[in-house]
Amino acid sequence: MKTVPARAARPIPVKNRNLVTVRNLRRYFPIREGALQRVVGHVRAVDGVSFDVRRGETVGVVGESGCGKTTLGRCINGLLPPTDGGVYFDLGDDEHARLDALTAMPSEARTREQAAELERLDRTHRVDRLRGEAWRSYRRNCQVVFQDAFSSLNPRQLVKDIVGRPLKVYREASGSELMERVVGLLESVGLGRQHLYRYPHQFSGGQRQRISIARALALDPDFIVLDEPTSALDVSVQAQILNLLNDLQRERGLTYLFISHDLGVVRHMSDRIVVMYVGEIVEAGTRDDVFNSPLHPYTEALLEASPELAHDTDRRAGALEGRVPDPARPPQGCRFHTRCPVVTPSCGFEVDDAVRMLEGRGAGLDHLRGVQRRSAFEADLSFDDEEFAGLMVRVLEGPETPAEMREAMIGLTRSGSTVAIRFRDIDRVRLEEIRPAHVTSCILHTGQGLDPGDRHMREKNGG
Amino acid sequence: MTDPARTLGEEVGGLDAAADRRAPLASVQDLRIQFRTKAGRVHAVDGVSFDIRDGEALGLVGETGCGKTVTARSFLRLVPSPPGIYAGGRVQFRPRKRCEVCGGAGCGACGGAGRVPTACPRCRGTGCSECNLSGEETVDLLRVPERRLREIRGNRIAMIFQDPGKALNPALPVKQQIAEVLHVHRSEELLRRAGIDSDAGVLMPLLRRMAEQRSRRAERVLLGLPPGRRHSRRLGAAVAEWVAESLAETRIANPRKVMNSFPHELSGGMKQRVMIAQALACDPDLLIADEPTTALDVTIQARILELIRELQDRHRSSVLYISHDLALVNQVSDRVAVMYAGRIVESGPSQAVFRDPRHPYTRGLLAAIPTATDERGRLMAIEGTVPELVDPQPACRFHARCPYAAPACRTIDPPLRAHRDDRPVACFLYESAEEVGADRSSMPTWAGRR
Amino acid sequence: MLDAARPRVGGHRVRAAAVRLRRFASVGGEVLRNPTTLAGVTIIVAMVGMALLAPVLTEPNVPDPYQMPRDWGALNEPPGTPDHLLGTTQHGGDVLYGIIWGSRTSLRLSLIVVSVTVAIGVIVGSLAGFLGGRVDEVLMRIVDVFLSIPELIFALAIAAVLGPSFGNIILALAAVFWVKYARIIRGQVIHVKQNDYVDAARVIGDSRLNIFVKDVLPNSITPVAVQATLDMGNVVLIGAALSFIGLAEAGLAEWGVLVSQGQAGISAGRWWASTFPGLMVFLWALAFNLVGDGLRDVLDPRTERR
Ligand SMILES: Nc1ncnc2c1ncn2[C@@H]1O[C@H](COP(=O)(O)OP(=O)(O)OP(=O)(O)O)[C@@H](O)[C@H]1O
Ligand SMILES: Nc1ncnc2c1ncn2[C@@H]1O[C@H](COP(=O)(O)OP(=O)(O)O)[C@@H](O)[C@H]1O
Ligand code: SF4
Ligand code: SF4
Ligand SMILES: [Mg+2]
Ligand SMILES: [Mg+2]
Ligand SMILES: [Zn+2]
Ligand SMILES: [Zn+2]
Repeated sequence: MKTVPARAARPIPVKNRNLVTVRNLRRYFPIREGALQRVVGHVRAVDGVSFDVRRGETVGVVGESGCGKTTLGRCINGLLPPTDGGVYFDLGDDEHARLDALTAMPSEARTREQAAELERLDRTHRVDRLRGEAWRSYRRNCQVVFQDAFSSLNPRQLVKDIVGRPLKVYREASGSELMERVVGLLESVGLGRQHLYRYPHQFSGGQRQRISIARALALDPDFIVLDEPTSALDVSVQAQILNLLNDLQRERGLTYLFISHDLGVVRHMSDRIVVMYVGEIVEAGTRDDVFNSPLHPYTEALLEASPELAHDTDRRAGALEGRVPDPARPPQGCRFHTRCPVVTPSCGFEVDDAVRMLEGRGAGLDHLRGVQRRSAFEADLSFDDEEFAGLMVRVLEGPETPAEMREAMIGLTRSGSTVAIRFRDIDRVRLEEIRPAHVTSCILHTGQGLDPGDRHMREKNGG
Repeated sequence: MTDPARTLGEEVGGLDAAADRRAPLASVQDLRIQFRTKAGRVHAVDGVSFDIRDGEALGLVGETGCGKTVTARSFLRLVPSPPGIYAGGRVQFRPRKRCEVCGGAGCGACGGAGRVPTACPRCRGTGCSECNLSGEETVDLLRVPERRLREIRGNRIAMIFQDPGKALNPALPVKQQIAEVLHVHRSEELLRRAGIDSDAGVLMPLLRRMAEQRSRRAERVLLGLPPGRRHSRRLGAAVAEWVAESLAETRIANPRKVMNSFPHELSGGMKQRVMIAQALACDPDLLIADEPTTALDVTIQARILELIRELQDRHRSSVLYISHDLALVNQVSDRVAVMYAGRIVESGPSQAVFRDPRHPYTRGLLAAIPTATDERGRLMAIEGTVPELVDPQPACRFHARCPYAAPACRTIDPPLRAHRDDRPVACFLYESAEEVGADRSSMPTWAGRR
Repeated sequence: MLDAARPRVGGHRVRAAAVRLRRFASVGGEVLRNPTTLAGVTIIVAMVGMALLAPVLTEPNVPDPYQMPRDWGALNEPPGTPDHLLGTTQHGGDVLYGIIWGSRTSLRLSLIVVSVTVAIGVIVGSLAGFLGGRVDEVLMRIVDVFLSIPELIFALAIAAVLGPSFGNIILALAAVFWVKYARIIRGQVIHVKQNDYVDAARVIGDSRLNIFVKDVLPNSITPVAVQATLDMGNVVLIGAALSFIGLAEAGLAEWGVLVSQGQAGISAGRWWASTFPGLMVFLWALAFNLVGDGLRDVLDPRTERR
């Protein structure tokens, strides 16, 4: 006997198809140093991300730790204001088209009317600009479930207070009606009346996650951000939670943004997939496209590293060398070029790569005295004496240096104890649609700035 | 009571006994560990038996709280007690040494293992009651004196933990933490590597103490002065050399730089590599890895798994690999034991268990992993959670969650034994009513699925 | 059918209260299980009982019971004298009277100082921690200034400037102690604020005040409770020190004053006038410290979980 009627499967409307629209979203965190806490740089946690979430679907976001998944989720939730760009909620179809037209052009090129139109869209739909009633309505419709079921429930509140709180905040119910609604919610996540008067610490991880889900459902939202809701759980409990999430989605017509680093889970849950790397989207498409015919080498590497998928496809755990670059100083060109197994000379080799390579070889970097950068691609390295400078030049020219890097180096000259090094100047890569609704930023597919000879070279090297 | 370890090992572990005639490296026999709590006695490990043979990787799989960590910790007697109690059973360990014929590469003399048993110190290899007439040194890790245990810990048996961040000391540079095990267990070899055995003369005792890291301040000052300085510097260089070597083995980039950094300066994957380097520095016979990749990213996880496999091959050591992910264990281990609520419910070669799971729990674990063919939202989840193990009654521990559970399951303990082939499983679905001594109608059947 | 069994609104309140009470009682029981804590609690109960029953235990002095009575006929009587069980001071004050009424003074002192400082400290610290940014910077600079001066010296300076009186001792102590609470609570608030449940409450759309009151404060307050218990003892200790060096009015029935005035007689063998009150100061501080430590063990979140 539920007092909250479970909604019959809600038909996906043909109108207002896009529930969440993310455009050029950037979120930087200042790095402060010293006694005065001066800002010395920025962590670019999310760096120019655009995608849509349509009503009733699940969009999966995957990527390694620190690539900005949580930050993206928090921006969409309104917990963090974006540094630039924005998240638009519940745009009409026409508005969506207008927004795309307006954001596509550079801001200087907009006419006064166009700027005013954008401003109006921002005021009515951009999450960080919403006020009053619009804000309240957005708040009710966009909920969240966090990864850590331990820290997402207040240890000093009873379950009835935790789950009933949203209803109290919006004065939806009180007294015994409130209690019945809470019981209904608990029942819909597989808990019951007997759990009302318990504290969170009396529950297992899976049960706690159920309580979190019940709280998120209390206001009957349209959209829920699920930030790794099962990665702290065992496989068996994970399966229970995934089933529950799916049942709820079907019953209530929910839309999910499902964040996870587990590809097996993301594939199981999602209609469309967004693959992130160091704050950027590197590939996006339908689930089947991304999993069956991945375009980006990073996606391929992720697939190979996943034991569950290895089981399906007889792939053995593959190797992805190196570590995720520092998002405070992301690599030039394609951000994956520091680890890409099929990298080409046009992918954005820069001074940092040369220095890192010398460092990895242990090649006398103790004798490096300074690096004067003219740009990311051009610098003077000064050494203790001519001998080391000469040695460095030989290393950089020799077979120890990857062929692609040597190819990308368009200048390497020594004068005295200083080595001037220069790489090709490469633009940041852009996403392009390779197949219908399947985008990637890898230049092997987009062809962007790719030297025809480089593709040839890659084939020659057996890439 | 002297039950010959050899036959017992085969009977209890029951696993592929013909392959290796030699007594296994370690055998756990009917291990019972309990915790005293407010609610009563938690039977965290309740009659677990298995063998770990030379050079093999054994996987131990099960959900959170089923007793994997407690089992692993009992190898080094690291279960916190109180509240823990070693309530019964044995953990027998037979230390090895490098085969002198082949120098560890594997030959006929050592049966390809590269390691040979050490002789029983009591009978010098002729066989006595202490070693069950095997002539091999056999230590019961639960009863051996603390002193001997310290010689084994970190030296013959090493352990890596789930959270590398917590296992490393944040206040010490990486080098010192790895050097520590060398100072404790390998001081002789350190001296030899530093080339200090002949020419040091009267300084020798001091240097020895230094290699054991037991020097007092005054001794260190003395060794810092000219006659001793040369030797102490060489010793320091030998330590650094060795540490760098073991770090390099984990293929960490730039070992010399990593060596001098503090744990907080390293990423999770690097910290886990440091842990591995520390664990393997003394070339242990057994490496226990307790969910070493659970805290790491998928990509790094793949690298660490590969590394453990590779190092195991190279060092020819045995590995006890613990995880809750059967797919992952399948990748790294030769054999697997599935644990549920303090007991082993199934064991066998990993491939076989993975392809053809027998126990309903193992089936459930595998079915719960999302695959390409699962319809969305229709994963086969095992409903419920691991039961509280407070003063358990005889019954199949899995009965409350098992789709086949029948009356017999609720009143009798299913024994772990092999049936059609040599793969043991503890479930009445594989037993006949006569064997169990129960009523036929009370037995579970495959048809009786709820 | 089911409706009959379902508790009504009031029923829910009662049940929730019962659950909370049980939890509180279990914490209390845990505290008392530790023998040293139990000893502390016993001493505190005895002392508080003594303070409450002071008028029953001894005849109050008229007109002001907080002044020592003067019995000019019995100067420097040793303990055991009839009517003066613990002896008298050089001014003919009954030491036992001083101890009994002094416990009232001490209790008053502790309660006032601790409650005032906790209130100020919690307000300042939680504002700084919760709001962060500029507010935090300004408030914490002020706190730093206060912290840079040693406690006792600071209290001394204030008391010296304001002149000797009991009220001024309270003021001096309050000025010293609030800083510690501000520090503790700020650290806690900053830590607690990072928990996902705070974000969850924001996502629901709850007000900042509500989030602070329901989520942040209750989870930050435990170390303050422990510190406050410890300070109940410490205040009396420092208060006694201030009285000892003469910053309280002479003739006050207060332990520190008694110690101070009695110490002159120690060399002459009249140990009792300062030893007994000194013992009381010691016991008082010890008792609260024992209880504070016990509380810390029990309230430690790690042990609370189990
Ligand atoms: N409040 C903050 N201040 C400074 N840097 C931050 C902050 N939050 C996140 N970052 C940084 O932004 C980057 C992206 O972080 P984010 O938490 O979004 O990663 P993630 O993809 O969710 O990773 P994970 O899989 O570990 O959850 C990281 O480099 C992180 O250190
Ligand atoms: N220190 C302890 N005190 C009380 N119970 C414990 C303690 N450590 C472990 N246990 C209990 O022992 C059981 C097995 O724990 P563990 O071996 O850690 O499980 P896992 O399989 O997840 O490694 C659990 O029920 C756990 O609650
Ligand atoms: S653009 Fe493509 S090939 Fe080049 S580094 Fe990036 S992923 Fe690799
Ligand atoms: S069938 Fe019976 S014995 Fe077998 S697992 Fe299920 S409950 Fe246990
Ligand atoms: Mg995250
Ligand atoms: Mg464990
Ligand atoms: Zn050999
Ligand atoms: Zn023997």
